Amino acid sequence: MGFDPSSVFLTFDIGCSSNMGDFLNGYALHGLHGRAIPTAIGMKLANHKMPVIAVMGDGGCYGEGGNHLLHACRGNHDITVLVFDNGVYGLTTGQVAPTAKKGFKSKSTPAGVIETPINPLSLTISQGATFVAQGFAGNQSQLAELIGKGIAHKGFSLINILQPCVSFNPTRSFDYYKEKTYLLPESYNAGDFRKALDEVEESVLQEKFPLGVIYETEKPVFTDGLIQLADKTLVDKSPITHLESILQDFK
Amino acid sequence: MNKKFLWKIGGEAGFGIMTVGLNFSKIAAHSGYHIFDYTEYPSLIRGGHNTYEVLVSPDIVGASKKTIDLLVCLNKDTFELDKERLARDSMVIYDGDEFAPEGNYQLISLPLRAILKEEEAKEIMLNNIALGASLALMDWDLKYLEEIFIEAFSKKGNDIVEVNKKVARRGFDYIKKNYSELIVKDFPIRQAETKVVLTGNESFSLGSIAADCGLYCAYPMTPASSVQTVLANYAEKTGMVVRHSEDEIAVINTAIGSSWAGVRSAVGTSGGGFALMVEGISLAGMLETPLVIFLSQRPAPATGMPTWTEQGDLLFAVNAGHGDFPKIVLAPGDVQEMFELTVKAFDLADIYQTPVIVLSDKFLSESHQSLDLQKISDFSKNYKPNRGKIVAQVQGQTYQRYQVTDDGISPMLIPGAKGIFYQSNSYEHLENGYTTEAADERIKQADKRNRKLETYLKKDFQKPEIYGDFNKSEIVFISWGSNKGPILEAMKELENASLIHFTHVYPLDQGILIPFFPEGKRYILVENNQTGQFGRLLRGETGIEIKEKLLKYDGRSFWPEEIIKYVKPRRI
Repeated sequence: MGFDPSSVFLTFDIGCSSNMGDFLNGYALHGLHGRAIPTAIGMKLANHKMPVIAVMGDGGCYGEGGNHLLHACRGNHDITVLVFDNGVYGLTTGQVAPTAKKGFKSKSTPAGVIETPINPLSLTISQGATFVAQGFAGNQSQLAELIGKGIAHKGFSLINILQPCVSFNPTRSFDYYKEKTYLLPESYNAGDFRKALDEVEESVLQEKFPLGVIYETEKPVFTDGLIQLADKTLVDKSPITHLESILQDFK
Repeated sequence: MNKKFLWKIGGEAGFGIMTVGLNFSKIAAHSGYHIFDYTEYPSLIRGGHNTYEVLVSPDIVGASKKTIDLLVCLNKDTFELDKERLARDSMVIYDGDEFAPEGNYQLISLPLRAILKEEEAKEIMLNNIALGASLALMDWDLKYLEEIFIEAFSKKGNDIVEVNKKVARRGFDYIKKNYSELIVKDFPIRQAETKVVLTGNESFSLGSIAADCGLYCAYPMTPASSVQTVLANYAEKTGMVVRHSEDEIAVINTAIGSSWAGVRSAVGTSGGGFALMVEGISLAGMLETPLVIFLSQRPAPATGMPTWTEQGDLLFAVNAGHGDFPKIVLAPGDVQEMFELTVKAFDLADIYQTPVIVLSDKFLSESHQSLDLQKISDFSKNYKPNRGKIVAQVQGQTYQRYQVTDDGISPMLIPGAKGIFYQSNSYEHLENGYTTEAADERIKQADKRNRKLETYLKKDFQKPEIYGDFNKSEIVFISWGSNKGPILEAMKELENASLIHFTHVYPLDQGILIPFFPEGKRYILVENNQTGQFGRLLRGETGIEIKEKLLKYDGRSFWPEEIIKYVKPRRI
């Protein structure tokens, strides 16, 4: 994409996924668990000409930071969120994640998890995300392409990345994903909101995971609505010189 | 001459009490006087009782007083609730068709509702009849009020402007005709420097604008909410981005993101919202990202008393955030100090690359004071942001974000510069920002961060201000923040008292502060909280213990009279 490490802002959550902070070169903020999205929004508001990528796990994005995800979708903030989805909390050695299958026995749910898993794709599409894709760690060339498309997309993009946790989640092995994922057909139209929702509605419960761009549309992004940012980025804005005239209003 | 005059209006919520009160304040300032105002209202949008009181004085004033000189009763409740604050000379305006107050006061029966009916005006305009009458009693005129009406209502149509003018004139003329003997002669319209009338929140807002704050992020919470409203209203003019995020956790992390990217950023809230921000404060301390946090206190715990005042969050603010990291807490004592310290807070946050908390409370946040317009204007014209070691470019390729330095402050490169990159890291890190768990590296970075406090105490800590003649005084009040006004007003009636007023409340330094407390004086700690939190902080940080305490935690600020009464009987 023609980027070098100086031309991208990265924000990392907390988790195995986000330890990528020590391996991926870029201007990076390695922040708090669940908070990579608001941090990314702040970066984008400060310098909306820079691409901003948030790297998170399923726990941080769909659990701890779930509220931020909902509102980032509806704001269509021009950031790219990469979610490493392995159905388990690996860094804390094997507790249940919000994406785990109902009944999954983990360290925090020895009798099996009672809740049904979250559906990140239908959730984000329905809340206004303008680019939603799913990739698989076992299909690296497609995944790279999806990430590239997500970054190039103007608006909120989420890429859910299915991947095994070889240490703490034997139920989500490489073979499991090989069997349960499928490529979207050539004929699939990612611009159709209804179809996209239909495609993913049952995918999590039925464990049939589509790979590819699920939904994509064009809408004004959050910073388009800020007249303050029409000419310059916030970080380059000229100093305020209007206090004198504002003071007149308080006489 | 009676140097202070207290006007108070009361009525049902929805009667426009806040508007009429502010207009009285502005007209008083325009007539050449200083004002201090104070409002009371319940946490409801309709119903309940609202009041607004304005103290008028030729001198700067920092608190109200107990005795009301003119009480405007838009309903009977106003009289019943406030009659204990009336003296024999106090004037009472009431609608004789509604009720008749009992008592030996200067009673002024004003046919509010009859006038309203004759002018076919809406009930909301009752307050302007009363305001017109009040201005007549002050011996002021209607000119400035009429300008205010044009400014406020011309968009709604000339009819609205005219009917407002008309009803105010009716009230004004009624007094001139029927009660001219009661007109106050002590406050004639006089020439004085042009004043602005600001609340503490407005002062914080203007200070942020002056300091070139680029992003203000908040989630509404009384009594901090009006900062967001003011800044949002001026956002297009100032270029500031004012964001209302989904919750306070998002608020602080968004501000950290934008500050990290080089933009001066601030957040604002009250105690409950601040509680949600606490993890973010610790993050800003670790990342060494500048951040200004406006915390306007109200009585707690939990939801507490949302529209009332208290200084109960001092120790919470000082201790907010897990782990040891540097933090600066400032507590302005009045609206002028709020402006100056807000600007300073942005500089300190940048210089020390760490969170700076500006503490307010409902009393300071929502009370208006009159300030010299020119003084603020000149200050902002001459102000240049001091961003310390924050830079847009660095020489060479060996930049290290967390370089160990003698003063604890590392150069911060604004992200985006070509040819370089780095990670700001929530994990303990090496000088280059990469994660580490090595014991010696941990110590290096922890010590580096902590050295910023030593540097601050040497270079930027401002000693407490002494008011009154300390050497001659027998009684020394020790206080912080918004108690300054009531204490200074009390001191006007006490010959032998002085005040040590703290604005830079954390960190504190034993060596600097011990000389402030020589033996042989009666030291009294005055705080608007239950447990004397500043006293505990002072003792913990410096070993100085103030045994005598005057504490108030009923949701109200101190009355100067309460302070006088506390001190005086014990002198006999």
